[in-house]
Amino acid sequence: MKLDRREFLKNLGIGSLLLALAGQIYTWVRSLFPNVSYEGTRRVKLDEPDKIPDGVTFIDDIKTYIFREGKTFYAISAVCTHLGCTVKYVGLSKPKVVKIGGKEVEVKWEFHCPCHGSKFYGDGTNYAGPAPRPLDWVKVEVSPEDGKLVVDLGKKVSQNYKLTV
Amino acid sequence: MAEVKVNGKKLTKRSLFWTWAPRSEKEAGDSIVRNLLLHWFPAKVTLKSLSWGYSLWLGTITATLFLILTLTGVVLMFLYVPSVERAYQSVKDIEYVVSFGWFIRAMHRNSAHLMVAFVFLHMVRVFLTGAYKNGIGVGQNRPLNWIVGVILLLITLFLSFTGYLLPWDQLAFWAITVGTNIAKNAPIVGEWIRFVLLGGHEIEQNALIRFYVLHCFFLPAAVLILFSYHMWRIRKDGGLACVDNLVLSQKKEKVKDGMKSKTYSLLGLTAGRTVQVETSLIDEEKYTVNSVPFLIRRIGLVMLGTFVFVVLISLFIHAPLEEPANPNVTPNPAKAPWYFLWLQELVAITTIRIGGFVLNGALVGGILIPGILVILLAIWPYLDKSSNLSTGVWFSKERMRQNIVFLVLCFLVIVLIIIGTYMRGPNWEFYFPWEPWPQLPKKF
Repeated sequence: MKLDRREFLKNLGIGSLLLALAGQIYTWVRSLFPNVSYEGTRRVKLDEPDKIPDGVTFIDDIKTYIFREGKTFYAISAVCTHLGCTVKYVGLSKPKVVKIGGKEVEVKWEFHCPCHGSKFYGDGTNYAGPAPRPLDWVKVEVSPEDGKLVVDLGKKVSQNYKLTV
Repeated sequence: MAEVKVNGKKLTKRSLFWTWAPRSEKEAGDSIVRNLLLHWFPAKVTLKSLSWGYSLWLGTITATLFLILTLTGVVLMFLYVPSVERAYQSVKDIEYVVSFGWFIRAMHRNSAHLMVAFVFLHMVRVFLTGAYKNGIGVGQNRPLNWIVGVILLLITLFLSFTGYLLPWDQLAFWAITVGTNIAKNAPIVGEWIRFVLLGGHEIEQNALIRFYVLHCFFLPAAVLILFSYHMWRIRKDGGLACVDNLVLSQKKEKVKDGMKSKTYSLLGLTAGRTVQVETSLIDEEKYTVNSVPFLIRRIGLVMLGTFVFVVLISLFIHAPLEEPANPNVTPNPAKAPWYFLWLQELVAITTIRIGGFVLNGALVGGILIPGILVILLAIWPYLDKSSNLSTGVWFSKERMRQNIVFLVLCFLVIVLIIIGTYMRGPNWEFYFPWEPWPQLPKKF
């Protein structure tokens, strides 16, 4: 292709204008992706294991249920796996026996989601409604510094991961 | 009256701003062209286009609602603080402390809901009259204008949705939680879209300010630009579709190749001529009238009526304000805004399980079904093969089947909205309206 000088300069002008514009637009769009998150922490320190009440406790700030059975602790996330509403704990007046993954298990409580009616057994297994998978179990640890219980939302663990102190 | 002399011509206030009662054809056309607010109207308009029964004036009502929303919205912008700490308190102040604050907010809220409804009704009207079809004019592109309309519908929904979060109460917070989590389920880009929209992973300050800017500047600007184009295209397409039909029904002979229609270099100024220059039949006085005063008067009436209606209902229907947003407590049931409730209903019932394979309902009901519906809607004018005799006619026989399918789909959407609004109780269980809801503990 042959370009005369006029054509060349014109293309150069328009080209650099477009390039400059693209650069500007990139800076605008890129600025909308936060580099630093000021969102709440995903790792929360609770009390000493002894002081956590037996049974179930709901930790508000991290939307997590902490369970204590004697010396055993575990945590189930209350965030519904369907659309992220907070599931509610429903204690059953009579324990019922259900089959979960082929095994018969006695459940004493369930989780119900208020938004779209998903239901989960006590161990988080989904059995009704639109939820596509069980509730997440999250890691419970003991802090090496002061022996307090720590819940780490960033670490998902397999179902039935329980910590015995 | 003050008079100024320019080039020997007398310029009165009247001739500068308004020629309300034109004394000649020339003056009638002149009054359109010379007025900034009117120059996008034709000088003459057919009686059919002007009738109440053809267009039902739904587009004009929608535009009026948008005007009310802009005006009340600007006032509210002076009173509202888009910060997580102060948003709720400032809305509460608007509602209970600011003089007439409750009224302005109710006007804004009610107009917003009405606008969603009327954009929808306008679309239904255009579909049922086949007004997205080209008629006989050369250079018409009504399908394009239909697509612009579909985009305007989507923006209207998004405008309403972004406004929903601003009060930062429980209603707002959870409607947006559900809404943005639906977006998350879009394949590949979902996670990314939600991240950009919220400016993070949680609905916090970043999300609030983003929604605020989208709501107050970005989306209204988009509506204004597209609305201008929407109106301009009506002129380019030779006016409302019923004009094509009028011409066709008068022409006894079949129109084989496109007729020349006038383009608007003269802004339709030529006296006695309407949009289809060669179709002289509709130039006759019994079919057309001057836009000033007839079109302007009717637009004024519709605007006034809409305004009065919104004022009256706003005296009785106030904008709700619930408890401040609390990310830890989901209200039971938590519902999306009514115009998204059909989606929420779909989302709740479309999780598909085939063996171990699970398709999340949020993907099927929240993305796939509405996505397919919107795409179908957008391309429908290109699939509709009916003749141009069906352009601009209510319930044309030729288009009966598609009209029925369209109405059935609209009906289903409305039924799902009604079920979602009135028949879904705690845990999204079904209750008839007369059945009491069980009392559930607020916290777990």
